[in-house]
Amino acid sequence: MTGAQQIVAGLEAAGVSIAASVPDTWIGRLMEAVRRSPRIRAVDAAREEEAVAVACGANLAGGRGAVLIQNAGLLNCGGVLAGLVELYRIPCFLVVSLRGDHRDPVYYHAPKGRVTEETLRAWRLPYARADHRGDLAVQVRQGVEFCAETRGPFVLLISGEDLA
Amino acid sequence: MTARKPMLDALVSMLTGRDVLVSCLGANARYLPHLEVPAPVFALCDAMGAAIPLALGMALARPDRHVVVLEGDGSLLMSPNVLATVAAAAPPNLTMLLWVNRRYESSGGQPLPAVTVDWAGLARAAGIRHVASVADVPALRAAVPRARAAAAPALIVVEIAFDPAEAIPPYSERPEEIRTRFRL
Repeated sequence: MTGAQQIVAGLEAAGVSIAASVPDTWIGRLMEAVRRSPRIRAVDAAREEEAVAVACGANLAGGRGAVLIQNAGLLNCGGVLAGLVELYRIPCFLVVSLRGDHRDPVYYHAPKGRVTEETLRAWRLPYARADHRGDLAVQVRQGVEFCAETRGPFVLLISGEDLA
Repeated sequence: MTARKPMLDALVSMLTGRDVLVSCLGANARYLPHLEVPAPVFALCDAMGAAIPLALGMALARPDRHVVVLEGDGSLLMSPNVLATVAAAAPPNLTMLLWVNRRYESSGGQPLPAVTVDWAGLARAAGIRHVASVADVPALRAAVPRARAAAAPALIVVEIAFDPAEAIPPYSERPEEIRTRFRL
């Protein structure tokens, strides 16, 4: 099973039925695996703030939604994370591609890589880096459950190597 | 052009317990706790632009319910991209009402950028095929059933008068209360 398949298996195991996404290269590969799932509906959003709100709507309506975006998109989401997720205490699980760290070969992502984790800490968003040496399905399922238990967000940062 | 409150009253009178009502921040959200709304209500007090995608998530998660969402022109001008997202997802159970008064009413009535946006045309260009424009209560009463029957996402552009002297009540419910009471 590839890492992408493990992530999807984790979403399925956690009962996620709606995955709202804006793709980058890595998230696009992950969404290919999502679209093969008979249990998850892929929702293609035009902007990342929408994806957060779509997932929140699904969660408020009794379902389970998740967000799959790049870190550039996460950086767009400060307002909706504060004014919707935090303010109303809505579970919101995000898989975010961590572009621009030392594992990313593409130079122009570097500025985002430098600020992503500091931004997550400043915004008080619980997060973890995915570890492909372990079971990614478990890490995803635990993240979704953390959101449900805390009524809040959790960000799982992934790299390209996590999808292989 | 009609005042907001009669339009909001008319809309609320057309809802049932099988509907879900979502409101963006601002006057509508502030009025709703004072109205007898037969449907579950989720009203925002912040997060401009989040109402429609929030309603989209609800509509996709609960195809057995019809979700009605109230958005303002200021909010949609900030994030018109959501129209394409809705059109692509194509939920048959989502009706969007865009309240147009060309003001950021929530923050003091400042004008929007000084241009007349063709909201109906913009929505159609983004792929929303069922679009109507109304400026009085009878037209709204006629448009809402048609939107429900469209079996596709629909947008009703609701032109309302801006009244700087309108006595809009303050927010009277806290987000935690709104979320806790919201049950489908």
